[in-house]
Amino acid sequence: MHKIFSGYYNLFKKLFSLKMRITSFFLLFSSVLSFAASGSGQSMNEIKVSLHIKDRPLKEVLNLVEQQSSFIIGYNRDNIPDSNRISYSADNRSVARVLNELLSAYPVMISQVNEKYILINKLQQPVVLTGKVTDKTTGEALPGVSISIKGTSSGTATNVEGKFSLRLPQDREEGILVVYFLGYKRQEIPVNRNTSALNIALVVDRMGLDEVVVTGQGLDISKRRLSTNVVSIGTKELDQAPSGRLDQMLQGKLPNAQIRLTGGQAGATSIIRARGVNSAFVNSTPIIYVDGVRMDNLNTASKLGGGSTQGAAVSAIADIPLDNIEKIEYINGGAATTMYGSDAANGVIQIFTKKGGADRTDITVETQMGVETPTADFLHFKRTKDLLFQNGFYQKQHLALNGGKDNFGYSFSGNYSNSKGVQIFNQNSNRRIDFSSGFRAGLGKKVVYESSFTYVNNNYKRNRNGNQGGYTGLWFAESGASSITGPKFSPVIDTLSEASYAKMKAYVSQAERLQDNNIAVNRFQTSQVFKYTPMKNLVFKATGGIDYRVQKNQVITTNQYLSFTTNTTVTDQGSVSNADRKYLGITLELNGQYEAKAGDFSFVTTAGGQLFRNEDQQILYVGSNIRDGSRIITNAATKTSDEYFLQVVNYGMYLQENIGFKNKLFLDMGIRGDGNPAFGKNIGIQYYPKVGISYVPSAEPWFDAVANVLSSAKVRGGFGVAGNLPTAFANQRTIAFSGYQNGQAAYFGQPGNANLKPEKTQTAEGAVDLGFLHDRILLSAGYYHSTTHNALFYVPATPSSGQSQSQLYNVGRILNRGYEFNFVAVPVQTKNITLRVNASVNTLYNKVLSSGGVAPFNINGFSARTIQTVVQEGYSIGFLRGNKGVFGADGTLASTTAQQDLGKTIPDLFGSFGLNFRYKNFELYANGDYQKGAYANSFDRQFRFNYGAGNEGIPQAEIDKNKRTNWLNFTNMFTEKTDFLKVRTIGCSYTLKGALLNNKVKSVTIGFMAVNPLNFASSSFDPEATISGAAQGQGGATTGGISYATYSSPRQWLGSFKINF
Amino acid sequence: MKKVFLYTILTVLLGACNVLNPNITDDVYVGNSGATSSWVNGLRRQLALTMNQVVVSTELVSDDYYNNRTLSSKVFDIPQIDYFDLDVNNLQIQVQSLREMAEYGLNKVLPGDITTKAADSAEVYFSLAFAHILSGELFVGLPGSSGGVVLTPTEHLNLAIASLDKAISLLPANDEQTAYILLKARAYYSLGDAVNAVKYANIAKAKNTLLRQVKYDGTNGVSNDMQTYLFSSTNNEFAPLPRLDFLDPKYYHTGLASSDQKPVTIVKGEEAYLIIAESQIAANTLDAGRQTLKDLLTQVIAVRPVVQLDDSKETRNGGNRTDYPLTAVNVKFDASDSTRSNYVLNRKAGTISAYTVSGTKVTAAELDAAVTQDGLLYLLYRMRQEIFMAEGRRMTDLGIKFPVSQTEQLNNKNVKDADIKAQIPSFIPLARGMDDFTYDVANGIVTMKYDMNKVLVANKQAKEIFPFIN
Repeated sequence: MHKIFSGYYNLFKKLFSLKMRITSFFLLFSSVLSFAASGSGQSMNEIKVSLHIKDRPLKEVLNLVEQQSSFIIGYNRDNIPDSNRISYSADNRSVARVLNELLSAYPVMISQVNEKYILINKLQQPVVLTGKVTDKTTGEALPGVSISIKGTSSGTATNVEGKFSLRLPQDREEGILVVYFLGYKRQEIPVNRNTSALNIALVVDRMGLDEVVVTGQGLDISKRRLSTNVVSIGTKELDQAPSGRLDQMLQGKLPNAQIRLTGGQAGATSIIRARGVNSAFVNSTPIIYVDGVRMDNLNTASKLGGGSTQGAAVSAIADIPLDNIEKIEYINGGAATTMYGSDAANGVIQIFTKKGGADRTDITVETQMGVETPTADFLHFKRTKDLLFQNGFYQKQHLALNGGKDNFGYSFSGNYSNSKGVQIFNQNSNRRIDFSSGFRAGLGKKVVYESSFTYVNNNYKRNRNGNQGGYTGLWFAESGASSITGPKFSPVIDTLSEASYAKMKAYVSQAERLQDNNIAVNRFQTSQVFKYTPMKNLVFKATGGIDYRVQKNQVITTNQYLSFTTNTTVTDQGSVSNADRKYLGITLELNGQYEAKAGDFSFVTTAGGQLFRNEDQQILYVGSNIRDGSRIITNAATKTSDEYFLQVVNYGMYLQENIGFKNKLFLDMGIRGDGNPAFGKNIGIQYYPKVGISYVPSAEPWFDAVANVLSSAKVRGGFGVAGNLPTAFANQRTIAFSGYQNGQAAYFGQPGNANLKPEKTQTAEGAVDLGFLHDRILLSAGYYHSTTHNALFYVPATPSSGQSQSQLYNVGRILNRGYEFNFVAVPVQTKNITLRVNASVNTLYNKVLSSGGVAPFNINGFSARTIQTVVQEGYSIGFLRGNKGVFGADGTLASTTAQQDLGKTIPDLFGSFGLNFRYKNFELYANGDYQKGAYANSFDRQFRFNYGAGNEGIPQAEIDKNKRTNWLNFTNMFTEKTDFLKVRTIGCSYTLKGALLNNKVKSVTIGFMAVNPLNFASSSFDPEATISGAAQGQGGATTGGISYATYSSPRQWLGSFKINF
Repeated sequence: MKKVFLYTILTVLLGACNVLNPNITDDVYVGNSGATSSWVNGLRRQLALTMNQVVVSTELVSDDYYNNRTLSSKVFDIPQIDYFDLDVNNLQIQVQSLREMAEYGLNKVLPGDITTKAADSAEVYFSLAFAHILSGELFVGLPGSSGGVVLTPTEHLNLAIASLDKAISLLPANDEQTAYILLKARAYYSLGDAVNAVKYANIAKAKNTLLRQVKYDGTNGVSNDMQTYLFSSTNNEFAPLPRLDFLDPKYYHTGLASSDQKPVTIVKGEEAYLIIAESQIAANTLDAGRQTLKDLLTQVIAVRPVVQLDDSKETRNGGNRTDYPLTAVNVKFDASDSTRSNYVLNRKAGTISAYTVSGTKVTAAELDAAVTQDGLLYLLYRMRQEIFMAEGRRMTDLGIKFPVSQTEQLNNKNVKDADIKAQIPSFIPLARGMDDFTYDVANGIVTMKYDMNKVLVANKQAKEIFPFIN
């Protein structure tokens, strides 16, 4: 029996299968189109007239046509002089034919504007505007620059040589050519039919005041008007990053956000956070959009799908399409994300894909190859590297086509990458194939259609990680478990004799070889956008799209593997476990923007509605007692299965008003209202307001006096609310069922909460952005203070209630505050040399102000007696809690106190840094990031002590007295500071331009890149490889903090060769 | 055209907002015909889960078993029972779930379903009673209702007796009814009410091979956890105290583990004899007590099934202790004991005898030789330990009780500071002493550090133990 969300119980339900929804979705867009096209009620092709004229003025004849047809015909007398006389005869002919015959002698064009009007315009020769865009300082040609004619659907982009050509619409005498490229000041150039070839030199815009952004605003708006920050990253910067996955690519690139991959295995989850951890319930991963379409961003374990995902989950971010990106925008929560409503307290990342290029097709072929080496810096035993790791080979082949003509642009990219991985027997290999395409087309004069399609196929292997029990490589080698596993070895593996070590190596080799875990992802994503510009100042945009991701996670455990690793004979425990996860996300958004001016005031009004709907279906099907060799469960003696299904729907409306005064003072206001069936029945629409002010003193006349020193300045401040949605259906009280003794067994399911609502983070923030010495030095300094009210806590069931499931309640209050500094300097900038450095510093203070009386609960970790990361009033989210031991003067354990604070896992200082150096066509770049003030527990060390693989700093007296039985009573001895500084990439490239290559190819770029080359850490273990498996399950909050049998991200040493044709 | 456009938008929006909860809400469930049978079956399942937690936790706390690996509690062996320990919380979640489910059944589900039968009501009352028995036996105190006041063990046991009376009245005279009667005897035993305990034990004794078990279902995720830890998992996590080695494993599988999950006994005829014998010994009618125990050996234990089992893959070592004797060695119950044989088995030498219901090495000759109250009490408690091995009863015999958990305390104002302290009698050795032994490999002798039955008898006046004496 289904429980239906009563608010929408209607007759559409029955009609509304998924197929129907998709069909309707496309219908919606065809409707938008037809709306924009001319009406078809009365066509000049259908209305018939009869005329018999002899030597009459043409004007009189046209009047006759008007009388007979009820059309009004407009024309310019200059084009058809009064004196012209004509003879003509026709019976029952269409108006169109009559007019064409009458006017055949004149260079005019006849067009029907609407049901009443017909226009006769002078036919003009098409005019093609051509030109070249360069960087003003370096003179370097700029490819990919967006060129458009304001208020029309005409647009193109420059080719590899910086050249463009664009047709001026036939009915236009003149227009405004808009030239825009991320990182440069936008130029608007008046053009007319006589404009000759243009040479446009763009000036670098370091401050980015006039940069146009979309994310968080509904439609285009210049940064100048915004009271919050939007970070944009363009193609050039993206090229200087490893291209494996989005989060890795952005590591060290977002000044005020921290991105940490929690493991080195393919598909590992990451911890992405900006302004602290504003939720103890939902993961801090931002929402990700591609061309306005919301992506699956699951960055924790899924509900079903044990096996190799246990504790080291599969991230949906690992296969977000990455090639063909034009730019990425990032907003970090607070007022910036208010327009995303209930869903965006953790910020939003938006990817914009390429939609076409210049007249001629640009072809880019790139090959990237190199070696991957294991990051052995953090291994305890020297021999571990030899036992478990290998050097892998990496290759990536890339083909891209960009081109277009006038109002049409297209883009295609295909990629193949293959990594053998750094674990022996290629147990962490990764093969990925993806295709993407983008189109842009002007449909008529007022409608622009943009679409993108992407398909990704990602396959990778994963050997067992520390949380799976039994044999796992790192636990065996690094945690001393070799002393209890298989044939059993002395766990201090570096001191083993060569003969014993050879035995161990043979054992490990076989144990690794016999593992067979595979993850395969197929992902399809599309975005369809229609922009309709009925008037110069008014634009409507309809966006719709789909993200469909299918993941199969297969773990094959053979009897041979079990027999071998347990040193027993197992014949009936082989299993094949499959976990499939299907995600379908549909996003629909319709909005409009109106710009108006009144005296010194300018107004930008944006309004819209957004709806997204996700379906997440997970199926687990397991075959047990299956013979070795079978890869499907059909052959199993016993088959079991389970299912999980979640539907999330959220609908919101928003209105935003940005009022400007003299281009220097702006007031930004907005509100969003959201409805969602996951809210409790006592909860209605939820509102999210925002208000902010932006002041640009550099636009003041008096500013000229200081402009030589302080070249630009902006002061901004704002307040905004953003939310996190509760889990769908979490408000309802349910009865759960399962089979038991061949019958149906019922029991308490979810306790339910009729008052469930989203948690809301209120952020007040202020910042100044300053540019010194012609913006050669940029400094941005800000402060934010955000409080999450009604924070959602999974309240553990009170035992006496008889419930066993935790229930979400809005009981908490969480504080995050900090300073955000970003510094960019360009000490040298000449035609041949540019040097740019950047660094950011962020402070962070996080505290659970109130837990509403709820018992502390863990969000990660093991049992309460070992180590957990916990949420508790008065502490920072995810602090480490475990037993604290104190040693007496004699070196033995004097006391142990349970449940003690052993350190916080959230850093209080973090940031990134980078360097770019250019000498002519040679570029050198590097970037990295750091953190300070966080702690983590090394459960590896704790195990090492327990299994006698090391004393780990525990006094000998304690070991003599109590052996190793107290290993869990002084967990504080295994907790370390995790300050680190990591250089993520160092790379260089050299570009040969067309002239040097006899113009056969346009350019050739040779590059070299080292990924993860340098790590400096205060801890004995990798401070990043701290398992992120959220104890609260799918999408749960996590802060890492426990280092246990987790692989570090490997190093890559890559060479690349890129040719543009 | 405009209409089509608007209609399309409306259809898309309304259709897309339509969300179905794929699960069943309680108002959909209650009041439906057939709900009772699924709820009663749910109670049986819950009882199985409750017994999982009871058996695993209390066997570790006791001297019966110790945890040789990292799964399950690592501190109950000490024994260390903290009110904030998740396992402490889990035990009461399972006991309280049984009670709340029974009450929900009685108040909501059963009255709303016309197909409800008297036997259904009886079983629900039994479930309620059993939850109260566990609350009384295992905890220093436990709330008797959702967020309610903490009831003493006596209050719980009295509530159990009241519910058992209702259950008994709803049933005809059958084995199930006899089981409830014996449970009543057990409740009176725990209350220290020898008169009533013996009265009902005598009624139940008429059915000497009485056996009431809870069933497990491995294919539906309700595995017998103790079986997993003792036998089915690749590495056997729990190891028995060597002097009890011959009783391990009580639960095992042949073929596929998931399809062979052994039941756990909650009521058996042996207990009637043990209650009667204890009342006789406590009252110093030693001969009668001795005879009752001898009858128990011949009339009940001798007829219980013994199966031959291949346990050659037993992996006693490789966990926290690596010196467990794997061959047939002699044992001494403590340092002052004389050596005894056949207590530790050589499992590689062929099949072993597995006692699926009851087994003991106490003999009639030993009983005959015991002529003092202490001597008989010692043998009685050894028999209780061996007969109830892996059934979750030993911890109570040792006088240990769990506290109310922190989660309950934080959400329930009725919980007082005294309620969150475990009861561990002062005579209980700490630091894993109860599970400790030494293995003299050269002479083939394993010596237990403590003979806890001896310790009990030496402390027989302690208020936490021997309900008929204290």
